[in-house]
Amino acid sequence: MSNKVLKFLASIKLAVLVIISIATLTAIGTFVESKYDAAAAKKLVYDSIYMNIVMGIFAINLIAVMVDRWPWKLRHISFIFAHVGILCIMAGQLITNQFGIDGSMRVGIGDENRFVSLPQTDVTVYASYDGTNYSKIFEKEVDFFKAAPTPDKPYNIYKDQIGIRFTNYYPYAVASRETVASDNPKLGSGIRFQISNGQANFIEWLVQRNPTHVVSIDLGPLKVHLGTIPLAGTGANEIYMKVDGDKIKYALFSKDAIDPKKEGTIAEGQAIPTGWMGLELRILRYLPKAEEKWKVEQRSQPTPLTTEAVEVEFQGKTKHWMLVNDTVKFFADDAAFFVSYGNRRFDIGFPIFLNQFHMEKYQGTSRAMSYKSVVTIKDIGEHEISMNEPLKHNGLTIYQASFQDGPMGQPVASVFSINKDPGRWLKYLGSLIMTLGIIFLFYFKRLGTGTHAKKS
Amino acid sequence: MKALLIGLFLLSSLTSSFSYAGLMSEKEGEALRSLPVQADGRIKPFDSFAREMLELVYGKQKYEKRDAYEIILTWMLAPQTWQAKELFEVRNFEVLNRLGLDSQKRYYKGEELFSGAKFSELRAELAAKRETKEKLTPYFQALSRLENQYFVFSEIATGRMIRVLPPKEGNTWISVADMQQGPAQEKFLDLTKSFITLIGAMAEGRAESEIKTARQDLDSKVTAFQELARAENPEKYADQNKIDVESFYNRFHPFKWAYIFYLLGAVVILFSWITSKHKVMNPAWGLVIVGFVLHTLGFGLRSYLMDRAPVTNMYETVVWVAWGSIVFAAVLEKIYKFKFILMAGALIASFGMIIADTAPVVLDPSLQPLEPVLRSNYWLTIHVMTITVSYAAFFLAFALGDIGLIYFLKGENEHKDKIKAIVMSIYRSIQIGVVFLAPGIILGGIWADYSWGRFWGWDPKETWALIALLGYLAVIHGRLVGWVRDFGMVACGVLTFSLVIMAWYGVNFVLGAGLHSYGFGAGGVEYVSGFVVAHLLLVVYTTVIRNSRLKTAKV
Repeated sequence: MSNKVLKFLASIKLAVLVIISIATLTAIGTFVESKYDAAAAKKLVYDSIYMNIVMGIFAINLIAVMVDRWPWKLRHISFIFAHVGILCIMAGQLITNQFGIDGSMRVGIGDENRFVSLPQTDVTVYASYDGTNYSKIFEKEVDFFKAAPTPDKPYNIYKDQIGIRFTNYYPYAVASRETVASDNPKLGSGIRFQISNGQANFIEWLVQRNPTHVVSIDLGPLKVHLGTIPLAGTGANEIYMKVDGDKIKYALFSKDAIDPKKEGTIAEGQAIPTGWMGLELRILRYLPKAEEKWKVEQRSQPTPLTTEAVEVEFQGKTKHWMLVNDTVKFFADDAAFFVSYGNRRFDIGFPIFLNQFHMEKYQGTSRAMSYKSVVTIKDIGEHEISMNEPLKHNGLTIYQASFQDGPMGQPVASVFSINKDPGRWLKYLGSLIMTLGIIFLFYFKRLGTGTHAKKS
Repeated sequence: MKALLIGLFLLSSLTSSFSYAGLMSEKEGEALRSLPVQADGRIKPFDSFAREMLELVYGKQKYEKRDAYEIILTWMLAPQTWQAKELFEVRNFEVLNRLGLDSQKRYYKGEELFSGAKFSELRAELAAKRETKEKLTPYFQALSRLENQYFVFSEIATGRMIRVLPPKEGNTWISVADMQQGPAQEKFLDLTKSFITLIGAMAEGRAESEIKTARQDLDSKVTAFQELARAENPEKYADQNKIDVESFYNRFHPFKWAYIFYLLGAVVILFSWITSKHKVMNPAWGLVIVGFVLHTLGFGLRSYLMDRAPVTNMYETVVWVAWGSIVFAAVLEKIYKFKFILMAGALIASFGMIIADTAPVVLDPSLQPLEPVLRSNYWLTIHVMTITVSYAAFFLAFALGDIGLIYFLKGENEHKDKIKAIVMSIYRSIQIGVVFLAPGIILGGIWADYSWGRFWGWDPKETWALIALLGYLAVIHGRLVGWVRDFGMVACGVLTFSLVIMAWYGVNFVLGAGLHSYGFGAGGVEYVSGFVVAHLLLVVYTTVIRNSRLKTAKV
């Protein structure tokens, strides 16, 4: 009986079946990647239970067929080498998946960073009972992509004892900010205003985080502030606004005069002339208590503009959409909570400081030819990291991956991919053994073909 | 040996038909071809630039039998005339419908395409689509090409895109439109005047001597401008040697000659095979060798011009695979002397090169600078060459499979020996392919580890290469245990190649996903799918015929 099982596990029938299964599964994976993205293909196919089962059977098959041929003869050498090589590569990949690190790090020019962002996502909750000191009360790895919370099946934190739960999830969401009225007394106010003349037209929101917060916006010809009215301006054309119950107090300071040129009150729907270039200030909306929220729309496929979004509900009252790596704050009667959902951050143990970022372009074009980062790391000093020239330090390998452009189109940050691959040596060893096996196949051909055919 | 001698003789007679000087330098009146210009991030001869631009706008490298460099220059000299000619190739019905144009034609006038408000509407639509950062559908791709055609034509017409003068400082060359008043501008004006005189004289059919003088005059004006431009900034100016070589490469077009010789070779082998005249194989070998020498020459020239192995886009890999299939076919032919192996090799090599030559919009033959990640890397070249050369072996197995199918249709009992030989050749070809593909995938892993920091990441390109390998491994293992017999081997040789087509073409042109994005392109999907489906049907048809014959034989 056990012999029969071994024969089956070592059979070429099983081998061909496994080979075809792997080919089919991975082919599906490439189509998933084409329709969605690499992360989706990895989660849905390559890291799926089916793939693991097939790979497991493949390994068993490779081992069983070698056991079955025992005792080995010289003519088996290429067959043994090829199969051992494949097993080594598979083992190496398993070790990499289990113990390796593969993440990315963004460092601004003239800035430093020591945290790698990993693909795993966590939910974290901090609580404060005095308003100043927060302590972590919850942290757990979640995979909303595979197990998405829904209104019917929400993801509850602490079995819903504190009333925080995730009620919806969009893997591919397009998000925009919106300002809505609130009844939370701890929030500040929000004003949507318009400043216009014949040529120029600005419409903006100013939203205070709390009643004492001062929020400002620079529109070029003038600045607008919401929060307080100072005694003197800063020497530019400025509008200051301060809320006072239903009314908004305002003061206009002009570039030339220090004293307020104009003072008064204004209400929603009203307009006043500023006296600068015929510009007029109009209050389009006034919310005594306002909060900014994400407004999200779901897309069926990812684009460079989409991001993950998850909806969080607090004590059955307030609902918020939050984007990945975002934080929201909730207030209960006696406590405040910070809820975050985002990629796990891993401390690599040393900061990377980005001194400079260089980009070379092909002559007469804006096409990048090469780029490199000059970094400073504590023990090794200054070092250059460029495309295909990674830096190895403390068991980590730091690669130049890409860069980020600023608003003016010039690079502002460098993006590194950072990894630790404890299975690397095994994969290289396996590759070597397998290649030797293939070479032996030709060298020892005269010793007899077909390791399988010899069986009778 | 004899074949080699015949080959050398053919080659020498070919080269002697051109004089050496005639090959390396232009004909009289064509010095303009080698005028260095800056475009797409490198310095190239005006001839290359003109061919690429005409191809983009018109879809061909010649316009009504006139050379691209002539045409492009007249765009600048007489843009209004060109607006009224059917110059712009538009093939997408939806785009044409939206523009309100008759979709039966292939070429359209600039004035009918661009003058109305509809074109602006379509451009706004395209800009809005780009804003969403979604993948462009074929309609938007066609729109994008149209916008590009418009851009290229108007930039050339205004002279802004023809950059002929190196700057004193900086890297961007000065275009004809931006040249300051002074000697350079005057010299260029002289050049254009001589050019107009020459084409005028030719169009009016003036006397031969007059045309000859005009030609000499134009050449001297080009030289005068070039000398002045070089003096402007000798360091930044072009390496004249490379410019001349590129101009030669353009005019001589070695790949075209190569496939002509391969085709001739294949015909002669076919003759030798059918008539069993073995001596005819010698000239056949000679023809294939000449083709191969020219093929190698073209490959070498491309390497020299770009300072890298030319295997970085679809066009270049097709050329490389054709080269590999000739090598493998020749080696197997030398060993087995079956004749049809060399024929199959010559046929697929010419097939591949003809496709590469006739579909420039899909397979871009221009010499392009590389993406940052691909620059100056040893492993890149090695892994691409190893993997794609394995495709050459599988392609050979595929062609042999096709020949095998023909014999099965003709009747397997009458052609037992030939079928045995074919099956053996298919098996050997697949073995060669596996021997290159397996290490090639590993080398790709090493390169990926080195460049991206992971050995294996299920990227579609690497995954499909692996799937192709698994497919052929399944065939080989199936053969070992006797599941795959002679007919199975022939069928598998044909069908398994579909996996290679997917890995080679499909990932870039159908899936369009993953990290190998520098090789992505569009177009030709209907033809390639048709090719695959046609072969699938051929295999099914042969299976049905064969089964019915076997049944009747049993009865």
